[in-house]
Amino acid sequence: MDMVASLPAMKLDRLYANPFICQAILRSLPPLAKKYVLEMLYIDGPVSAKMLEEWVLADGSSKHRIALDRLIQLRIFTETVDRKKETSYRLNPTFQINLRKHLIDREVLPREPMPSNIVARLPSLEELEAYALGQWECFLLQLINSTQAEKLTNFSSSMMKVFQRGLLSQREKEASRLTESGFQFLLMDTNAQLWYIIREYISNSEERDIDPADLISFLLELSFHITGEAYNMNTLTEIQRHMIKDLADLGLIKLQQGRKESWFIPTKLATNLSVSLTDSSSRKQGFVVVETNFRLYAYSSSKLHCEILRLFSRIEYQLPNLFVGAITKESLYNAFENGITAEQIISFLQQNAHPRVAERIPSVPENVADQIRLWESDLNRVEMTPAHLYDEFPSRDVFEAACDFAREWCGLLWEDSKKMRMVLIYQDLPEDPTGRFHDFKQFVESNFDVFKWIGLLIILAQGSCILLAMVLRALGQNHGSNYDSDDEYPPARLPLINHNLQPPSFVVGDPHFPPKNDAWNVRIHSQP
Amino acid sequence: MVNATKGLFISCDIPMAQFIINLNSSLPASQKFIIHVMDSTHLFVQPHVSEMIRSAIADFRDQNSYEKPN
Repeated sequence: MDMVASLPAMKLDRLYANPFICQAILRSLPPLAKKYVLEMLYIDGPVSAKMLEEWVLADGSSKHRIALDRLIQLRIFTETVDRKKETSYRLNPTFQINLRKHLIDREVLPREPMPSNIVARLPSLEELEAYALGQWECFLLQLINSTQAEKLTNFSSSMMKVFQRGLLSQREKEASRLTESGFQFLLMDTNAQLWYIIREYISNSEERDIDPADLISFLLELSFHITGEAYNMNTLTEIQRHMIKDLADLGLIKLQQGRKESWFIPTKLATNLSVSLTDSSSRKQGFVVVETNFRLYAYSSSKLHCEILRLFSRIEYQLPNLFVGAITKESLYNAFENGITAEQIISFLQQNAHPRVAERIPSVPENVADQIRLWESDLNRVEMTPAHLYDEFPSRDVFEAACDFAREWCGLLWEDSKKMRMVLIYQDLPEDPTGRFHDFKQFVESNFDVFKWIGLLIILAQGSCILLAMVLRALGQNHGSNYDSDDEYPPARLPLINHNLQPPSFVVGDPHFPPKNDAWNVRIHSQP
Repeated sequence: MVNATKGLFISCDIPMAQFIINLNSSLPASQKFIIHVMDSTHLFVQPHVSEMIRSAIADFRDQNSYEKPN
């Protein structure tokens, strides 16, 4: 669903024009968000945020926030802040209209299942499921060891490379090896794997000029079809026809050809697509029995299961429908070196437990699970952290202060009060990390810089003031020359300091005043 | 004045600490890497020896394993 959220706004609106997508997205929301959407469905105007908060009890505020964030991310809610700085939320109009239509009308798919007189030999549900699983396993096998498996699927090699991008590390001379995420991918649930592959497929679709919004809408629409019913191929658009071929290779769809027409049948994998959005995994039939003597019995004939079990157990016997292995320290060390964690192995064994042991709690015996975890922790017995050791503190107070400071910054690894030594994480703290003593020194030093600049500025200012004063004094003695020029216009440079008090001009001044040099008086004097 | 020494802080269980101390004493004096033994579970060593310690522990662990020949 993050993929949907990352689409630009225009495309999202186009997506929401399809009522099935609205329903699929509604299903994928967290429960509180679903409730909000349904309550706001028939409210046309904006609802203030405060009213929304009143719907939740006090301890649900974090869930409230998560739900709101999700809704805004998917652009189902639009947030508006009005002039009173109050936020209010509105449901996206396209989404709203389509969901309402969907609620009122019956669910009408763009295509109807074909009548059974044209369609002959529809596979039964079990056959369909077997087909789907078979295709999916083929695909996975080809994904993992592209050199060994025969070319069973029709994916072009460039497509396979795209899928393998995160999972296999390609080196030129050696055979490609699975990366850590590759191993984890193998141990994931089928639905999670499916979604991963589809996500890669969709993000690659832009390079092939197919709009991801179309892909997503078709996939979600597909999930609303009925498993096992045939749908006519000529109801599909051109783009969808291209996609159908790829989806058939993945096992989501079975293609069949009649005499005149061809049709496709969605399998359980396809219809589970929207259900799996909410991370509810459908239990498929498990096949692994783990015994307390560390032996593993897998009742399966699939090569994929064999490969996966080989990752972490030592194979003892392999019969056509049974795989016997043992979980040993060496085989687990191999697995740990490949990046698989003990928790993944244990959860894989638990999820695929055979129905016989599945009801037993726990389905994997405790001693086996504990031993797997112990062997994993055996690999990490020593913890090394790059650090600094500080000793020879001048006094106990400085040491205590430094310790407290380091503890505040969560950098203290170890301290010894008797010998007054402490160890701090290297480069975890901003500057020299030893505590108040050095901090104070730094403070003084940094202030010293500042003060240095301030001091320089002050000295410069004083110097310039003195210079200016001298200049002005000099100017003050030179003002007489300006007076003699006797211009119409006031002289260009006027002394700043007026040595003489200026009497108002309407008062007949005392002629004993020394000559006035101010602009107005010059003009007055110059007029005859 | 406070002295600051750069190195690696090791925290492990007591047997491993003893193993590392033993490893240290088996090396010639120029290659000894333990700067300080803080207590029975913590050591302070020179920074470049982490790989050497890890490989020594891995060897020690492998000596204990037995792989059944197929």
